[in-house]
Amino acid sequence: MAVGSGLQRAQRFMILATALYRGSHLTMGAVAAAYRTSGSGLVAWGLFAVAVASSLVLYATAHGRGWFARRWVWTDVVLTGCVLPLVAVALAGGGTGDGPPAERANAAGYGWLFLLGGSSSAAAGTALGVRWGAAAVGLLLATPLAADLWMAGTWQLPDPGTLRHLNSVAASAVMCRVFWWYLRRQGSLLDAAVAKAVSAEAQRARQAERMAHHRALHDTVLATLTTIASGQIDANAPQVRERCAREAAYLRRLVQVEDQAADPGPGEGPDMRTQTATGERTAAEEVSVTAALEEAVRSAECLGLKVTAQYHAVPEVPGPVAAALAAAVTEALNNVRRHAGTGHAYLTATGTGPDGAVRVTVVDRGAGFDPAAAPAGTGASAPAGTCTGTGLRRSIHVRLAAAGGRSEVDSAPGEGTRVELRWPA
Amino acid sequence: MITVSLVDDDRMLREGLRSWLAGADRLRLVAAEPTVDALLALPGPPAEVVLLDLVLRDDSRAEDNVRRLRAAGSRVLVVSTVADRTRIVSAVAAGADGYLTKDHSLETLTHAVCTIAGGGTAHSAELAFAWAYDAGPCRPQLAPRELEVLLDYASGLTLKATARRAGISVNTAKWYLDRVKEKYQEAGRPTYTKIDLARRVEEDGLGRV
Repeated sequence: MAVGSGLQRAQRFMILATALYRGSHLTMGAVAAAYRTSGSGLVAWGLFAVAVASSLVLYATAHGRGWFARRWVWTDVVLTGCVLPLVAVALAGGGTGDGPPAERANAAGYGWLFLLGGSSSAAAGTALGVRWGAAAVGLLLATPLAADLWMAGTWQLPDPGTLRHLNSVAASAVMCRVFWWYLRRQGSLLDAAVAKAVSAEAQRARQAERMAHHRALHDTVLATLTTIASGQIDANAPQVRERCAREAAYLRRLVQVEDQAADPGPGEGPDMRTQTATGERTAAEEVSVTAALEEAVRSAECLGLKVTAQYHAVPEVPGPVAAALAAAVTEALNNVRRHAGTGHAYLTATGTGPDGAVRVTVVDRGAGFDPAAAPAGTGASAPAGTCTGTGLRRSIHVRLAAAGGRSEVDSAPGEGTRVELRWPA
Repeated sequence: MITVSLVDDDRMLREGLRSWLAGADRLRLVAAEPTVDALLALPGPPAEVVLLDLVLRDDSRAEDNVRRLRAAGSRVLVVSTVADRTRIVSAVAAGADGYLTKDHSLETLTHAVCTIAGGGTAHSAELAFAWAYDAGPCRPQLAPRELEVLLDYASGLTLKATARRAGISVNTAKWYLDRVKEKYQEAGRPTYTKIDLARRVEEDGLGRV
């Protein structure tokens, strides 16, 4: 089971605490039944079985649902808190004899049944709310008093033993009520703080991305358009046209990426809060592959390479993986720029399954090379087919492998080069 | 000499293409209009190939524009600034013979127009990508080999490199890509009613026996 929200954790703690309390009372019951000095074994174990059954139903449903079911709390209060102690008194001899009922029941080996009232009131105080909790506790307090009355035949002041018992029943309920109130408040505060932190983080990330776009637009498109509009330069000059083409490519990808963002995949949108609250995934760990690759593309474009980039359902991956993919793409684009003899590269990034797997390709239509004839790099340790050959392939391969991915380079003379990156391997 | 018309709602781009095509000795621009309505209202024979902007400001749908131009007797090359994949797929399913983004070189554009005028399909990495990752309701069933070729071509490989990786000839690779287009165009021509069927028979020229 997942760790859960602060509220769920508080609930689970209270279930566990009251269950342990009840467990301690049942242990006393088992000991009393095993070491009984008089009475029938069948009756002793039978009473024990009733108490165990009621406890099991109460705590099994609470565990399954995450919280107490009111009806089983009431059942437990009436059955184990009221009926069983009265049965004990009846078995111990009813209205004859001396001494307080609990002590007489104790002497007969059934005293432990009175203890159950304490753990019943703990569950009632936790689960039933103030008004109904008080009613249940009242019932549990009335039981020993009624037993007293039954035994003595007339009303008298409760003896110290009964008072001790009454005190423990009331204190259990009050203490559990206070604990629960405190834990629930802390849990809710924690949940609110987590939700606030998550939304602030998302807000910050969006803000940072917007700022980055604004900066990029300011430095590029806006500056270029302003310069052209002012008539300071010849808009037809090759450098200006090249710059315009580069910036148009940037805008084009920006539009494409925004289009994709408008169609949120699983794990984004309204689900994000619950996912983070259950602790299965936090927004801080996973980063967008697209954003990381865009960095690589932008820097390659600044060096004069035209990049046609297409993205489809690109997942978010752990930060180091995105960094490794981006570094490998940078390396591959550098290689296109230096060796392919063409100013144009194609980049694609696609999600390849529901579990966050990603495939990135960098392709050019340039000179290519013969993989078999390429120099063997710095050593012969590279496995065949994946990273034999140039330093480029070695550096890409090593980097990807360190992040748990793999790479493949394919080329032939005159047919360009294709670098494929996959994560996970 | 291939006659070409242009439908684009951006006047600057129309003027730009006019001066651009002046440098292409195999193409002759005969008309440049902001809408399909305006182009079809012109007198004279239709151009062999129409360059059609994917998104026009008159709210017409690309697939309707393609069908009307095809019905008028032109072949259609769809162009756009941004590769809007859903629209690209519908436009080609409606009968366009190729797709290019506007940032390609004059050489690429000329080559695409010549291919289309000759009855072929102007494939591009952008179009292949749009097909390969199409999740629309009309997506036809593609054979594993078709998908393999499509994915490689979509990654930017040349047709030759795509063919080498698949262990087939260039012609076979091209045939697979053409098959994908045919499948989309078959899926794009619903034959739900008898009227539709009759119209399709007419379109296919089967009614003229």
